[in-house]
Amino acid sequence: MSNQQTEFADFFRASWEPCLRAVVAVVGSPQLAEDQVAEAFARAWVSWRKVRRHPAPRAWVVRTALNTGASWWRRRCRDLPLADHDLTAPGDLGGGLDATLLTAIWRLPGRQREVIALRIFLDLDTATIARQLGIEAGTVRMHLSRGVAALRHELTPTTNMEAGQ
Amino acid sequence: MNVHDEMSDNEVLRAASGSLSAMPMASPPDVEAIMARGRARRRRRLSAVAGLSVAAGTALALGLTGVLGSAPPGGQGTIRTAAFTLASNANGTATLTISPGELLDPAALQSDLAQYGIPAKVTTGSICTSDPAPAGFSQVVSSYPAGESTATPQNGVQPAITIDPSAMPAGTELSVGDFQLSSGEYPGQQQADFVLIDTSSYTCSSTPPDPNGLPDGYGPSDGIGLLYGGPGPAGS
Repeated sequence: MSNQQTEFADFFRASWEPCLRAVVAVVGSPQLAEDQVAEAFARAWVSWRKVRRHPAPRAWVVRTALNTGASWWRRRCRDLPLADHDLTAPGDLGGGLDATLLTAIWRLPGRQREVIALRIFLDLDTATIARQLGIEAGTVRMHLSRGVAALRHELTPTTNMEAGQ
Repeated sequence: MNVHDEMSDNEVLRAASGSLSAMPMASPPDVEAIMARGRARRRRRLSAVAGLSVAAGTALALGLTGVLGSAPPGGQGTIRTAAFTLASNANGTATLTISPGELLDPAALQSDLAQYGIPAKVTTGSICTSDPAPAGFSQVVSSYPAGESTATPQNGVQPAITIDPSAMPAGTELSVGDFQLSSGEYPGQQQADFVLIDTSSYTCSSTPPDPNGLPDGYGPSDGIGLLYGGPGPAGS
């Protein structure tokens, strides 16, 4: 392997899972996300000279993965929640999952899902998320705040039960 | 008692992260398979471009040079406007420098490029592209600073491009898209993208290409994106 191949392989192995989880959080289907993330990494390899110098290469992969599904995505309008037929039922993903919370995440408008996914899985700060999504930092804060508020609301029954124990 | 009011944003995000992280994920594919997929993607694009070149060659063989080919260079000297400088060079090429912050008149630049034998489609707030990208861009256009598909200002020198009209493949034009960026990674900067288009098949979009890349369908050597009037990306 050349140095570039080794460097890309290291990046790929370290970044596959966080990138995949971020894309799953946005698109709602692990199968769809896997294909989009694989395609994004393939494109990253083709453009590795550029991607390796990118300030946030994992964010480049996630954004490319989401753009890969753009025609699929735009038909459904970026700011709408995912429709039922887009979602994988949490029960199909194995036991031990908080189905209510997963469904709540996927019910968020698309931009809120993107912002939360980039924050959680890529640990990006507000300014970097804003640059990656091409929106203002204030807009990122708004989406994050609204998304967190919606999820907090969904967590209410669980926390109430815990409080009553 | 309703304790959800006491959950901080970080606690909510941790709960969401925990929920998503508990989902079983597929193991990563073999990295060799990913690199092979990338190479296959590049080959598909190149073979599509090769097909286009064959079609252009056939057109030449049929004597359509006058229809599809570039006009011979006719202009001499230097054209200076507030928004750009276009200088002809002794070897038949022309060098274009765009002045940042000045309102570019696309019709004027397009007309002046034509004077130097460069068929072009100049647009502001949009860019025209072909998919697949015509081959041969790197023979037509060189940039200063050189070496990257995206060049940023260095040492206060604004980037410039040199165009060789004699190297333009038949049936192509130079597409120049000029954007004033209001958001994204480089708000306030001016972005000018240069690519070749197939005059018989192209579309125009008002979405600026990725400042760190090129329009969809264009590989690293298929175009140049210049950023004007700013310090360039962090870490550059």
